Amino acid sequence: MDAHLYLEVTLPMLEPATDFTYKWCVNMGLVDDDAAKMTLAVDEVLTNILLHAYKPETGYVELWFQYTFSEIEITIWEKGEPFDPDRYIYSAEKAINENDFEGAALETIRQMPDHFLFLNLGKDGKEFRLVKKFADSLISDLASSGRDSDIVSSEQELAGDYKVAQVTVNDAEDIAKLIYRSYIYTYSKEDLYFPRRIEIAIMNEYKFGTMVRTKQNEPAGYFAVIKSTDSLIGEVGEVVVSPEHRRKGLMKIMMNELISMSRQKGLLGLFGMAVTTHLFSQKVNAKFGFKSTALLLATSSRSVYKGLDTKPSVTASVVLEFLPLIRRWRRPITIPELYKELLTEIYGQFEKQPSSPSQQNQPDSGSGKTDLKLNILYEKNSAVIIVLNMGTTFETSCLRMFRSIEELNLTSVYIDLPLNQNPLDKAITWLKEQQFILGGLMPLFHRETDYLRMQRILKDVDFETIETHTEIAFKIKERIKSEYDALQKK
Amino acid sequence: MHYKKSKEKLEVTLTGDFNLNAVRHISELLNDRTELNIDLKNSRFVNSKAIIFLHNLMIEEKGVIVRLKNPPKLFFKLLQILGLHKAWNLDEIVEP
Repeated sequence: MDAHLYLEVTLPMLEPATDFTYKWCVNMGLVDDDAAKMTLAVDEVLTNILLHAYKPETGYVELWFQYTFSEIEITIWEKGEPFDPDRYIYSAEKAINENDFEGAALETIRQMPDHFLFLNLGKDGKEFRLVKKFADSLISDLASSGRDSDIVSSEQELAGDYKVAQVTVNDAEDIAKLIYRSYIYTYSKEDLYFPRRIEIAIMNEYKFGTMVRTKQNEPAGYFAVIKSTDSLIGEVGEVVVSPEHRRKGLMKIMMNELISMSRQKGLLGLFGMAVTTHLFSQKVNAKFGFKSTALLLATSSRSVYKGLDTKPSVTASVVLEFLPLIRRWRRPITIPELYKELLTEIYGQFEKQPSSPSQQNQPDSGSGKTDLKLNILYEKNSAVIIVLNMGTTFETSCLRMFRSIEELNLTSVYIDLPLNQNPLDKAITWLKEQQFILGGLMPLFHRETDYLRMQRILKDVDFETIETHTEIAFKIKERIKSEYDALQKK
Repeated sequence: MHYKKSKEKLEVTLTGDFNLNAVRHISELLNDRTELNIDLKNSRFVNSKAIIFLHNLMIEEKGVIVRLKNPPKLFFKLLQILGLHKAWNLDEIVEP
């Protein structure tokens, strides 16, 4: 469960904030030692803010607690005095000999989490981001410790009869084994090699899914939906069928089950991120009514696999495909002129998708202050900036945000623009001047609203290797390629 | 925070972490006493401000004798990060 605290910076605030941090970290699955380290880091940041940021006035601080399957991230935001952490370098020698402890708190903050980031957003404040990865056992360690008596052999399964059931926490280890035995270490989602991470995600209802077993109760297939944290949609993101049980229709059984479960849970839509290095996933999605809406370039994986040499970054692009689960999803009244033809065609793929004159879909005129949210995807070496409110300060707020993440050397930066807010065309034109190109439509992606994704790709893209299955995906690719080529010429 | 004072000694049992709040309380209570005993059985961490506070007490001209009971693991880790693990006589400071 993600959490948000908004606190006045006072001395009595420290203890409740750190108590909450510790309990939240433990509840999300960190071991006690790691939870204590994160708590200490939060305490040090808050103490520094209390002592230095708002002198002599009082101010406020916001804390966001975010969970993913592989790590937790705590972001602390404040808007006090300007501050440059690079100027406070701790020296043990100075501390001992001169009693000069400058930088001690920052050194502690740097050392406690696995990643520490300081983002200076200028007039929009400052962010301290603390990231801790889960320390769990790899499934190969469990499998090699004599616990693999349930390896599925072809001799055990002859009847071809299967039972399908909703995934529970008790399936976690079997899921990890299925992935390991089917893909060794080539599956793109590293979290699936850690039973404990799977267990916590199921327990906290971050994902749900189906498991197919043989009559002998051996795991044969697994398919899951990962729920979005800021909208009522989910990603059909994890799928495996054991090699011996392929071509028996298990994928179809599980997908139908997943769609039904998603409707029951009130999701408004499902999406898939199909890799473009082959057509298999795109073909499967198309068969179940998913429609292509975007092409996201260079979503790279930086996984390091145990027992293998560290691999260099693998660049892969994905086609986003969407399946609406409700009839009341309607396209926005105004579509940016710059992409009107293409977006109309994308929306046109979906049946019963009229534009609505309802109040809800009327575009806002973009007043007030711009509100941006930054999500850093550490494993993918990329970031998504979500525009929650496109106010009058859109360009300056974006520039501050871009500057604050410059030093991260990201492979790709995405920015999601809400299609129910104006002036979109102006924002798109400006983003193109900042080297952004089209990404595509992200249906219902944040706050149950359609977004247009623009992308800035910071490494070379070979469009020849991007395979697309549907006609519309090909058109999206061609449009993105022309914008990419134009940018390269500049 | 629970504490017991005598003329020379202050004995404290922290009910939470050894943080800025605890530093300020102890500092107020200590006055000119020359011995400080702290039981950290309820603490998850000792932060950098607390470590600097203890360090300053020990190196003062008058010198306060500091004894710590039940310090958390993270205390030793932070002491090492700050490079003080060799400067502090842990055999005398930490009660076995």
